Amino acid sequence: MAEGKAILYDASRCSACKGCQVACKCWNLLPSPMEKNTQAWNGSMQCPPDLDHRTRLIITFDEADNGKKYGINWAFGRRACMHCTDAACVMACPSGCLYHDEETGMVSFDRDKCIGCKYCVSACPFDVPRHIGGNGLFDAGAKINKCTGCIDRIKNGRSPACVTTCQPGALQFGDWEEMLAVAKERVEVLKAKGFESAQVYGEEQVGGTHVLHVLKYPLEQYELPENPQVSPLIGAMNWMKPILGVGAIALVGGLGLSFLTGVGYKRPEMRYDEANHDIINVETGEVVRHIDKEAGER
Amino acid sequence: MQLTRRGFFQATALAFAGSMAFELSSQSEALAVPVDAEWKLVNTEEYTNICCYCSGGCGSIVSVRDGEVINVEGDPDHPINEGCLCPKGAAMFQLRNVVDDATGEIIHNPERKTTPMVRRPGATEWEEISWEEAIEGIARKVKDTRDATFVEKEKGVTVNYTPAIGSLGGSQQNSEEEYLILKMMRSLGIVAIDNQARV
Amino acid sequence: MTGHYCDFKNADVILTSGSNNLENHPVSSKWVQRALDAGATWIVVDPRFTRTAAHADIYCPIRSGTDIAFYGGMINYIIENDLWQHEYVEHYTNATFIMEDGYEFDPETGLFSGWDESTGTYDKHTWHYAIEEETEWDTSEGGSYAWVTEEGVPEFTPPKVQVAKKDPKMQDPMCVWQLMKKHYSRYTIETVCEICGMDAETLEQVYAAYAATGAPEKSGTILYALGQTQHTYGTNNTRIMTLVQLLLGNAGIAGGGLNALRGEPNVQGATDMAMLVFDFPGYLRWPNVSESPSLRAWCESQTYYGGYYTNKPKFMVSALKEWFGDNATVKNDYCYDLLPKVPANGGDYTTMGTFHLMDSGTMKGYFAWGQNPVVSDPNSAFNRRAMSKLEWLVVADWVETATAAFWRAPDMKPEDIQTEVYFLPAALIYEKSGTIANSGRWLQWRYKAADPVGEARPDYEIADMLWSKIVELYEAEGGPSAESITNVKWDYYIDGKIDPRAVSWAFNGYNVAGTDFASGKVDLLTGFPQLKADGTTSCAIWIYGGYYNNSDAPLDPAEQPVGRRGHDDPGELGLFPQWAFSWPANRRIIYNRASADANGKPWNPNRVLVEWDGKEWATRNDVPDFVFQTTNADGTTTPVPPNDNAFFMKPEQHANFISYGLADAALPEHYEPFETPMKENLLNARLNSPCVKFGDHESVKKGDVETYPIVATTYSITEHWQTGAQTRMCPALNEVAPKQFIELSPQLAEEKGIANGDDVRVFNNRGSVVLKALVTKRIVPLEVNGETIHEVGMIHHWDWTNMYSSDDNVVNDLTPNVGDPNSFIPEFKAFLVDIEKA
Repeated sequence: MAEGKAILYDASRCSACKGCQVACKCWNLLPSPMEKNTQAWNGSMQCPPDLDHRTRLIITFDEADNGKKYGINWAFGRRACMHCTDAACVMACPSGCLYHDEETGMVSFDRDKCIGCKYCVSACPFDVPRHIGGNGLFDAGAKINKCTGCIDRIKNGRSPACVTTCQPGALQFGDWEEMLAVAKERVEVLKAKGFESAQVYGEEQVGGTHVLHVLKYPLEQYELPENPQVSPLIGAMNWMKPILGVGAIALVGGLGLSFLTGVGYKRPEMRYDEANHDIINVETGEVVRHIDKEAGER
Repeated sequence: MQLTRRGFFQATALAFAGSMAFELSSQSEALAVPVDAEWKLVNTEEYTNICCYCSGGCGSIVSVRDGEVINVEGDPDHPINEGCLCPKGAAMFQLRNVVDDATGEIIHNPERKTTPMVRRPGATEWEEISWEEAIEGIARKVKDTRDATFVEKEKGVTVNYTPAIGSLGGSQQNSEEEYLILKMMRSLGIVAIDNQARV
Repeated sequence: MTGHYCDFKNADVILTSGSNNLENHPVSSKWVQRALDAGATWIVVDPRFTRTAAHADIYCPIRSGTDIAFYGGMINYIIENDLWQHEYVEHYTNATFIMEDGYEFDPETGLFSGWDESTGTYDKHTWHYAIEEETEWDTSEGGSYAWVTEEGVPEFTPPKVQVAKKDPKMQDPMCVWQLMKKHYSRYTIETVCEICGMDAETLEQVYAAYAATGAPEKSGTILYALGQTQHTYGTNNTRIMTLVQLLLGNAGIAGGGLNALRGEPNVQGATDMAMLVFDFPGYLRWPNVSESPSLRAWCESQTYYGGYYTNKPKFMVSALKEWFGDNATVKNDYCYDLLPKVPANGGDYTTMGTFHLMDSGTMKGYFAWGQNPVVSDPNSAFNRRAMSKLEWLVVADWVETATAAFWRAPDMKPEDIQTEVYFLPAALIYEKSGTIANSGRWLQWRYKAADPVGEARPDYEIADMLWSKIVELYEAEGGPSAESITNVKWDYYIDGKIDPRAVSWAFNGYNVAGTDFASGKVDLLTGFPQLKADGTTSCAIWIYGGYYNNSDAPLDPAEQPVGRRGHDDPGELGLFPQWAFSWPANRRIIYNRASADANGKPWNPNRVLVEWDGKEWATRNDVPDFVFQTTNADGTTTPVPPNDNAFFMKPEQHANFISYGLADAALPEHYEPFETPMKENLLNARLNSPCVKFGDHESVKKGDVETYPIVATTYSITEHWQTGAQTRMCPALNEVAPKQFIELSPQLAEEKGIANGDDVRVFNNRGSVVLKALVTKRIVPLEVNGETIHEVGMIHHWDWTNMYSSDDNVVNDLTPNVGDPNSFIPEFKAFLVDIEKA
């Protein structure tokens, strides 16, 4: 059971306007591409297709048949840091850059402390952390970028930028337990309306997440893992940290990286073509898999 | 008097002038908390505005420090939008300032044009000019065109119009500006007046 | 809007049709969600399954351009099943009124009575009521209209009061009710489905859900936007929705009304200000050659015999006083003759027509104030070519719009274009102050936050600089009717600088005697009831009366009604009467008399706008939009007991089912879009509306279904806005929506060999564009009259300008430059194309 604060994302209220994506950019002064016409079209309303080095939050889109003559089950989801209670990134971080904000439980970072090792990338069961900058052999100079929970705003009496801007009230912010209660009540309403798969996501997962979701449709319509886990190896590393010290871990960075990339949840650079239900490798453009939804495939 | 965000601002402006590290935008009913010196909006003045996209009339707050816009977000006291803004509204800051993707610096939006310009007949480029040149050039053209085409009477009726000039817009302007534009155009005898009502 | 955004929460049923309100008016999502949380039902009718439809309880597809068939069927369903609100219809509408002999609609010809083939217009004589008797205004001393004879009031003959024949039982075959019932009896469920393309089960589900709001205590609201209006019969689309709302008793109540979600931040203000060929500020009529060549003729043709518009001469004379100041006197007809008169061919001066005038060489100079017509207007390639014939063009904007840069469009050769183009850099919305009107008629104040960047200036400064220079030229050189210019009052200065606050004084209105702008002394009126026709009051726009009326603080908008920020919410209906100011007279829901029954008792005790307690209108949560009391000579008031005059802006003070107001139909009738996949109109013998504007212009190049079998429509997405000039300048918005696309069904995609993400060429007689394919099951082919009809939809936010995101393909190259005969709005929403893989 988590404590502190939570962002509640109610997918059944989300109009997928992406106001949250833009508010996140503007408040956090994150850049967007400015070079002319460099952005590709990915055949979907999901833009950018995934989190990237300058994007901390996206709204996801998924189209599924509804079994009726007209309309579809169009699932809008939210993909950003889940602010786990058992945060693998914090455990894996050798430099003390990633930390839990004590008051809220949000997982934030101190950019100056980031050494660019990317252990957090490998560790995260949600494939969230991205890095700005960096290149060369050891990716020197890369700095983490991910949702901070807008703890600067929270400490100054405001809700996170994404929550503040949300017109339909799909995003709410408050005490974790209160948000959970709101979520559970909403799920009951949705079930009564006939959305049998409606569920709360984040109550139990990785110790409880500080981003709670109300899902309207089945889980597979959202870019959320069914059973996110913190690798036992990361847990082990976490208690070794005080012994080895930051310097030591950084020293064995290369080794550590290869060790870590073998564990945890790895989210390939894939994108989902929501109309054709194809999973496409972003780098190669190859259709890795076609999901025949009509045949009951997921 | 109703205690308002603006009222708060006016009331606290003096305290600000007293050089206290005072965070004005946190002084509203909705946002009153102690201030953090590291806070992005520390020592900003705030001005309420209304969004420039659809006709919802959503309220916004523009935070300004040293004459420069620091942030634009929804006005939490506004009864229509209650602090929320859609993606377009949430991007209003970028109309003026953007984060340069190459350097990370905050710069005035380079897409914006902030100098009067003229494109001469047959030219392939703009030419920057002064306001005086622009206004004189336009006024002369307006007068010549109007005077050459003006119809004072038609079938015995005083009509006083010119068919040769049109004016389109604007639903982007404030009402006072719309009235001034309308008054200027109609007084010149212009009939072809239209705005975004149809598009 | 008859209501406002917050009022959506009060609805029991919300019907979104011709609007994609979650995407294009995102703030509506907040208020719709609140209604849903309180148990409301939401219906979305749209050709495609949008982000709005994704949240609806009932989604119903429809072929673009068939809304009158859809709503006509609903009217028939409501009447056949006796679901209409009897007391409301009998008391507050013209259902009981008897029509003039000779009124008819003939399905065999598809025409109403009075059609004149030679002029292509209707003689609307038979669209009026049969008259029982005519009476005179009482202009004697102490009479209701004594003001007509007062000194200073222009001479005019008051209108005769027309008392219509009525049948309270609504049985007379010529009464409006019986004629309407007969008219829509043709609109059966089967026929509607054949035309619109949905199945009968879904259609009936929609009809039943919405018609349930005919119960007196229930509220139903209709949210619409350009999807209804951008048709060659767009005005009748809005009319037929009004008919539905009147039948169900949904107009004038909380949670009801007919709500036009307007698309521009101050398009309401621009319409209020009459930036339209035929209009005068405040919804009066601009002087024109045929009706109003003189002030006397204006007063006689425009003044209603009954209702509030009996006061029109007061509004007009006060507006002329504001326009011309001391130069306007009763002796010179308040300078009326100095104003231009709209000529008989006034429609040619509306936007589509102006491009014809440029093309023919008549129009030589053009101003575009924050508008981008070479991308936003239909048949835009033609518009660009026409514009290249201009001698000069002035564009005031934030960025180099495509209109400013038309000469370097991909299909233009700058060297050959002789147009001199001026670009004037304008200030952003938060770089200047002033009033803005939202769709709910709320007037709010914008405060300047920072100086404009660089040389940019507010439009009011630009207008002032230009006007001052023009006046200087006319004073020095003279010219035809130079007095039209030199006699104008233009004194909107504070501390020697042009200032919007001084214009606000003019909007609100003031006593001429106590006011001198130059010295900053203003005697502001409390509201428009104080306006007079004798030249002693001055007011630029009567409907804004009372919005800026605090003479004690004329320089401080925060101390004016427009600047109020109170949150009082009497009745908890979201009316917020202490927040800003809603024209007219701070009424939040207009026609609110109709929220209560004939005895003044509210239909729903939980949604009280006004209530008669037996002695007076004691509860007034909203400002009454009817005559609820009269003021006596000694200043006391006398309550006016409930009567049936619930719609007092009409001369008969009753809402109209059959109406004489429009050019093309007395009752909305289904016609096909100008370009239609149909070979015949299944409801009458006429395929297209007989009154389509500009259909015969050579630039239109009408396409037929054999060559172009696919129905196309255009729309916006939430991430961008209009021509994109404003949103493509924001990198964050390009990032969330980087390209323009065409949405098509998997069936059509397969037929054409198109895969998601492919380039698709879309073409017709007017143009050809290449767009990205978005293949989606959200679009379904429809069965129309036994055939499968494919529809595609395109967004239209790109052009060749912008340093971040541009596209040489302009979607409006494809749309037809034809329009509605009342509003002159183009038909963007339904036309024909073909597509192929590019």
